[in-house]
Amino acid sequence: MTAVADPVQSSRAWRLRLAATPYVLLLPALLALAAVSLYPIFYGVRASFHKYRYGLDMGSAGKQNYTDIYHDPVFWQAMKTTAKFVVIAVPVETLLGLLLALLVARELRFASWIRVALILPMTIAPVVVGVIWRLIYASDIGIVNPLFSHLGLGTPDVLAHYHGAFFGLVVLDTWEWTPLLFLIILAGLHSIPQDPLEAAQVDGATRLQTFFHHTLPLLMPVLLVAVTLRTIDAVGTFDQIFVLTGGGPGTSTQLISIYSYNTAFQFTQYGQAMAMLVTLLAFLLLLMIAAVQFIRRNSRAAA
Amino acid sequence: MSPARRRVTATLVYSALAVALVLTLFPFWWMIDTSLKQPVDIFSGVAFWPQHLTFHNYYRLFHEYNFGAYLTNSIVVVTASVLVSLVLGTLAAYALARFRMRLGIDRVALYGVLLVRMLPGILLVVPLYIVLAKWGLLNTRLGLILIYAGLNTSFVIWMMQSFLEEIPKDIEEAAMVDGDSRLSALWRVVIPLAAPGLIATAIFAVIATYNDFIIALTLTSTPSAETVPVGVSTLIGKIQIEWGPMAAAGVVGAVPIILFALIVQRHFVRGLTLGAVK
Repeated sequence: MTAVADPVQSSRAWRLRLAATPYVLLLPALLALAAVSLYPIFYGVRASFHKYRYGLDMGSAGKQNYTDIYHDPVFWQAMKTTAKFVVIAVPVETLLGLLLALLVARELRFASWIRVALILPMTIAPVVVGVIWRLIYASDIGIVNPLFSHLGLGTPDVLAHYHGAFFGLVVLDTWEWTPLLFLIILAGLHSIPQDPLEAAQVDGATRLQTFFHHTLPLLMPVLLVAVTLRTIDAVGTFDQIFVLTGGGPGTSTQLISIYSYNTAFQFTQYGQAMAMLVTLLAFLLLLMIAAVQFIRRNSRAAA
Repeated sequence: MSPARRRVTATLVYSALAVALVLTLFPFWWMIDTSLKQPVDIFSGVAFWPQHLTFHNYYRLFHEYNFGAYLTNSIVVVTASVLVSLVLGTLAAYALARFRMRLGIDRVALYGVLLVRMLPGILLVVPLYIVLAKWGLLNTRLGLILIYAGLNTSFVIWMMQSFLEEIPKDIEEAAMVDGDSRLSALWRVVIPLAAPGLIATAIFAVIATYNDFIIALTLTSTPSAETVPVGVSTLIGKIQIEWGPMAAAGVVGAVPIILFALIVQRHFVRGLTLGAVK
């Protein structure tokens, strides 16, 4: 070998390095990501087929954990509560978010300040949201009881009653997450071309007609993304409940996240907890894939 | 529309907005209000302004409830994990924004990253707990840093990929013709152009990490590693709740994030919809 590199060789080496570049750039990130997501999930699925006693792995349990949770009424209760929570909260948030967005999507004084104020609830830690509503619902120092008794409606003691606590949680969630739907829908509204809308109104269409025939269909792609992302998030609601009720009273606010958490960390039944979560993941995966599809379609349409 | 009707509409719109604003902001005020009251006043009926203004609840938070330690832990964990994820994620995002790879690896990676972002924390904590216990990383800041760094990477990749795609290729190619390597072109030319996106991404990652509860809750157990949200939750005692310090803790937990949120509000939609809406 001479000291001077062969130009042909070095250019090939250079091209090879260039071809490798994207993989080299991508690999560290993907490894880090896989280590904290794919690996835990893989490990979790494996744990769901193992028996744990006092937190120690006692070896394979076959399908036992899945059979156990299948026959566990509390598990099904938690799944039902989760579904009920999502099915009530998400549509309410979507509707309110849409109304708010329609109100704000016009020439307004202080528009940007109004918008910032309206989205504050979703920026703070969910734990703090739990604290805020605990301070509001508390039967001794709260504001709901005095308000209701002032109106002659008695004292509801929101967090002490089965239905009250569930309803209280839905109100909390609506307060926290309507801003998300509001903000996304507002952005969607701003991206809709105004000309056809004005043309329709010139042609004598009422506001309601233009909304349903023009605005809503154009808003649909954005709405779909927002609603699916929100649904996925709502299924995993944990922090606020942990602070607000801990799942009670009874099992009224015990979503599957809370029940599986307690199964794992209070009763150290990791295997059963993971069997519940793997079951949940099976449902969630459908939603997640749908969300990816909606996002892909939108980004392609925008390109 | 006639002027009279327009005035009626405007009145209705502003009244509706006023109601929405009160419903949105009052709960914050109630927490702040409670945090500034003396214990006796907290129990003496509804008062929308502290009867005897006091900062004693905040004093107690730092002297009796370890909030100095929680804040330190949060700052260390958030800073380190966000920095690591920004470096890893931006490099990966650049690769995804600029190269088409074999077998569509780039697309698979991009949408795989998106899927990871949507996973609820509860699905990850049981296995992460078992694994960290094996490595002796439970209840350490390092354990939290590693996990948050990894999880944030998904968000950084996704956000930065969309910001970087908006920067024309020609600019860095010109720099490379002038003798820059790809990495130095990325560092000298592309990153400065992508700075607003990078800052928005960083702040989003900071908010998400600072606010996270379930991972910190399960993986830490003493004030040597517990973060602010976990600290807030420790104030909910089993027997009785100290309302004043709890309200003060909520305020301390919320304030840094509200400040950050105000800075990035322009980028909010993009961050929250994972770039699906710009």
